[in-house]
Order: sequence, then C-alpha cells, then structure tokens
Amino acid sequence: MTSELLDANGTIPVFAGTHVPQLRLPSSVRLEVMQTNGHHAPAATFVETEIISNEEIAPEHYLMRVRSEALANGEPGQFGVIRPGSATDIHPILPRPMAVYQYDKAACTADFVYRVVGYGTAAMAQRRAGDIVEIVGPVGRPFPISDTTNGILIVGRGIGVCSLTTLIDEANRRNIEIYAVFSARNKDVVLGKDMIKKARGNALYVDDSDGSSDVENVEPWISEIIESGRVQQAYVCGSNRLIELVTRLAAPADVETYVSLEAHMACGLGYCHSCATGAFGESAESPLVCRDGPVFRCHPAGVTV
Amino acid sequence: MAVQDTETDSRLGVDLGAGLTLKNPVMPASGCFGPEMGTLFDLGQLGALVPKTIFYGERAGNPAPRTAESPAGMLNSIGIPSRGVEHFLTELLPEYTKYDSPVIVSIGGLGIEEYDRLAERLNGEPGVAGLEVNISCPNLEAGGMEIGASPANVERVLRGVSDRFDGPVIAKLTPNITSIADIAKASEQGGATAISAINTLSGMVIDVDNQRTVTGTMTGGVSGPAIRPIAVRMVWQVCSAVSLPVVGIGGITSAKDALEFILAGATAVAVGTANFTRPTTMLDVIEGLKTYVETHHLSSIDDVRGQLEEGMRVAIEPPRPATPVSGRAG
Repeated sequence: MTSELLDANGTIPVFAGTHVPQLRLPSSVRLEVMQTNGHHAPAATFVETEIISNEEIAPEHYLMRVRSEALANGEPGQFGVIRPGSATDIHPILPRPMAVYQYDKAACTADFVYRVVGYGTAAMAQRRAGDIVEIVGPVGRPFPISDTTNGILIVGRGIGVCSLTTLIDEANRRNIEIYAVFSARNKDVVLGKDMIKKARGNALYVDDSDGSSDVENVEPWISEIIESGRVQQAYVCGSNRLIELVTRLAAPADVETYVSLEAHMACGLGYCHSCATGAFGESAESPLVCRDGPVFRCHPAGVTV
Repeated sequence: MAVQDTETDSRLGVDLGAGLTLKNPVMPASGCFGPEMGTLFDLGQLGALVPKTIFYGERAGNPAPRTAESPAGMLNSIGIPSRGVEHFLTELLPEYTKYDSPVIVSIGGLGIEEYDRLAERLNGEPGVAGLEVNISCPNLEAGGMEIGASPANVERVLRGVSDRFDGPVIAKLTPNITSIADIAKASEQGGATAISAINTLSGMVIDVDNQRTVTGTMTGGVSGPAIRPIAVRMVWQVCSAVSLPVVGIGGITSAKDALEFILAGATAVAVGTANFTRPTTMLDVIEGLKTYVETHHLSSIDDVRGQLEEGMRVAIEPPRPATPVSGRAG
C-alpha cells in the first residue's frame, strides 16, 4: 500500500501541539491517511427522515433508529452528522457527528447510539418516534477489511465501541472470525454485546469496577490473539491506552491497525475545516477528521512505511 | 427523501452591479460552503457560488479546536487554511464552474500587496465572475480585520483590486468597528462595485472548568442567528451611506430573515452558519422568497428592497358602539 504519511520525519505525532482532548494521541502512535485505492464509499446525502425509535438502552445511553435507504447502505465506520433539535433559530444549532452503530439494509434503517453528555445530546434524547430528524450521511472513509482477511480484532472503550460495531455484521457476513475487547467504566454500559453474540464472536468484556479493564489485564489476551496469527487487521476506538497497546502489539506481527477518531465539526463534509488534525505552525493544513478520516491507519512512531 | 429542486423564477432575479446579475438573490457566505455540498443538491440553483477565501500562497489555518457552539450561534477560529491561488484555479474552480451559477472568488491577504497580487492573477481567468475582497476576517495573525478597520487601508485595498481586476469587486466588511458607514464609503471610493456585510463579530467563549478558551485561539468570530439583529442594523447603515448594491449576511436561516435584510436595503443575501444547521437552508430561502413575491403580488423581489418605515404599524381597534350589542351595560 502506498501511503501519504502525515508525519514525514517519524518523530512528532501528528497531533502534537493541539490540546483537543479527543485528538490527543499517545506520542508512540503515528497516523496515516488511508489511500482509497479506487474504492468509493457511498456519498453523503441530506436525509430528512422519521425517527423510528429513540430509547434509553443503558444509563445515559440512547439508541436512535432512523429510516433511510441512503444511511442503511453506508459502510462500517462511516458516520452521520445529526441535528439534535428541530428549530433552526435557537440553541443548539450545530449538528453532532455520530458513528452508525448498526445498519439494517433489508429494513432500510440505521442506528445511532449516543451518550447524553451535554445540551446537544440531551436535546436529542428528547426526540420521539415519528419526529423528523435531519442527518447528513453516510460520511467519512470506512474501515477497510481486506479480501484476504480471515480474522479481525476489534478493541473499543466507552462510546467508542459504537464506531466499531458495524464491523461485526460485516465480518459475520463475510465469515471472518471476530475477536473483540469491549471496555467500559462499569458493567451497565458495555455496549455491543448482543451483536457479538449474534455473530458468535469471541469477546472479552472488561470494565473499571473490578480493574479488569486495566491495560495490563487486557494485554495478554490481545497479545495471544495477535501472535497466534488468527487476525490480519485490528480496529480501535475510544481509548488512547488501547490505541497505543494494539498498535504496539500488532506491528511486529504485520497486523494492520486502524483507528477511528472523533473531533468537533460543523459540516461533516470538509468545507467548514473545523476538524483539522494538524499541529499549529505547519505551512499547510493537515488532514480533516471528517473528509480524510475518521478512520486512519496507525503505526508505531519512528517506523517508516 | 431526495432534496427537492427549486425552479427558476424570474421575479427573484437581481442585479449586483458591474454586470453581475443573479437568477435569485441567495448565495452562500464564504467559509460556510464548498464543492462538497454539491453531493447534497444541485448548486446551480443558487444565485451565486462563493468559495472559501483564498490567499496567494498556502497557509495552514489555526490550531484545533476551531469551532464551538455559542448561544444561538457559533464561534469559529478556523484561520482560513488555503492551498493558494494556483491550486484554486486548477483544482477547485472547475468544481464550481460546472454549475450554472456565477462564481464570486473571495480573496484575502495578510498585507495590502497580497490583495493586489491576487487581483492581478485572477483577472481574465475564465469562470471568475467577480471578486469578494475579504477585509474582515477576525482570525488572522495580520491583515484581515486590521486592514478592514481603517478607512484609508480599505480604500487602498479596494483601489488596488479594482485597478487590476476588470469585473465586479465586492468589499466584505467587518462589524468590529465604530462606524461601518465610514468603511462602506471608503470601499466605494476605492472602486468597489458592491458591498457585503457583515463578517463575524469578534468574540470569546470560555470553558470555566478548564479555565481556557474553547477554541485553539483566545478569540474567534461569532456567527449565526445570535448576530442577526446587529447585521440587519449594519446593512441598513451601509445602505444609507452608499449607493452600491449590498449583500446582507448574518444569521439568516429562512426567507423571513432574508427579507429583513432586503427591507433594510440589501439587494442579495448570503447564508453562512445555517448551511451547517441545515444544508438545504439556501433552497428554503429561495422557495420562501418565491412565496413572498407571489402573496405580495410583486413583479420583482427588488420592489421591496429598502421599503422600510420606522416603527411598527399598530392596528387600532375601531371605537366601540355606544349601545352594547348585547343590550347589557358593561
């Protein structure tokens, strides 16, 4: 794979110098913009559609299901930019980027799982079945699963798990073995369990309540799977420590690691330029999370591709 | 459901001067628009296309986070990343000229000379229907608002651009000044053929828990419905001060909002932040203006431009009949 390296000198991580919590990556990880290699993910559309359901599925966590053929035909890792409320004139006015949690192509639906963290998501939680919601999507570069892959590793934490779950159905459809580590703050909010079960995937569910989510506890499991040669690609979202861990363990075994990033954005398509990943002081604008991501390839710092 | 296309209505046609005629008065505000929107609907329905401001050379823009929400609006400190004029001409301009709408190229500069160079380079380029001179960005390390706040500098920049570019030259004004009328007059004297107003208002939003600003810079520019009353007032002041056509900008989300600017004297309007809120807002505005000309039996939307009187008309109830209808004293 020919690559456009974000960080040509291999020593400074692309996000050094920024203080966006979502974008602060461990200094041991370096990102690469994926080449599309002729693959064109479904293009974004403006969707005004009915909310089928919007229910609390775990404490503070909601699942919104919407009817849309365009969204239902998105690919794993793509996302939607959802307007929380319905008025255009009052707070909040900006849409929120959210990963698609699950597609149902047959039923023409897409699910979004979100955690209520501020007034935007609080407004979203107030929406009812039958309300009209506006979404730009599907947007972003999807997770690649290569044709020769027969096993994948999925590692997510917290709401970040919801950026990875669309990989489960896709892998299942293609008879690809699934190995997953899903981490959460407590046992009530470990997401994606039902999907793993349906796909008969192998999963390790860990949380902070008993310390099982500590990196030291997760490492042997991940290490064993990678060293056994059962997976060829790994996907991570939601935790810098886990991104660092998987990148470090995967590289020597030639397992490709991909991360999905989140960032503040206003448009989701690239024209607002809010979600630039770059460090200040560069002469050129660095890649945008929405247009050039949200999925990026991860490499250990210092390794030249 | 696919986005419904709008049909051209000759009653919405407007003249922005210097040969720049638009099929309707609705265009995007620079910075809140790009060819990416073309995946959502046919951009040829818009009165004009206004790309993000370009500089002569390449620049990175400001550190993240670059946007944050603010009450009924947003704060941005994007800082105008640009790939430069050559990249624009070869890569981006063709993405705009494929639509059936004139392209108004927004130009910026860190110094007065940069505007001159851009005007010279863009003069005669096919597909460039006019220039918008951005002398009002509050997020630059130099130039921008600094130039736009000085009548002498504004006149010099507009003189330089209009001497070098044979076509419409629109001066985009900052609201971050004491008298926008003075800046408008300086633009007119410098040779601007139209004015657009306003750019964002300089502002700050602070995260009190982390004791830092919410954007990567200390200040940003505020836009959205929150600034609309200020923008309408400033457009009215500009229209009172100069005889040039004006593009009204500031928090427009609907045809009703656009009509406020038109009644204040604007010939056309630009939609910015609302493109993020609802990407089809510009089409909504066009449809709403059609309904307005229809219900008010106008032959042209231009018939209501500046038709503004002071104060609300208050409906006075007719005097009550001396004898109560019911026959009962009350």
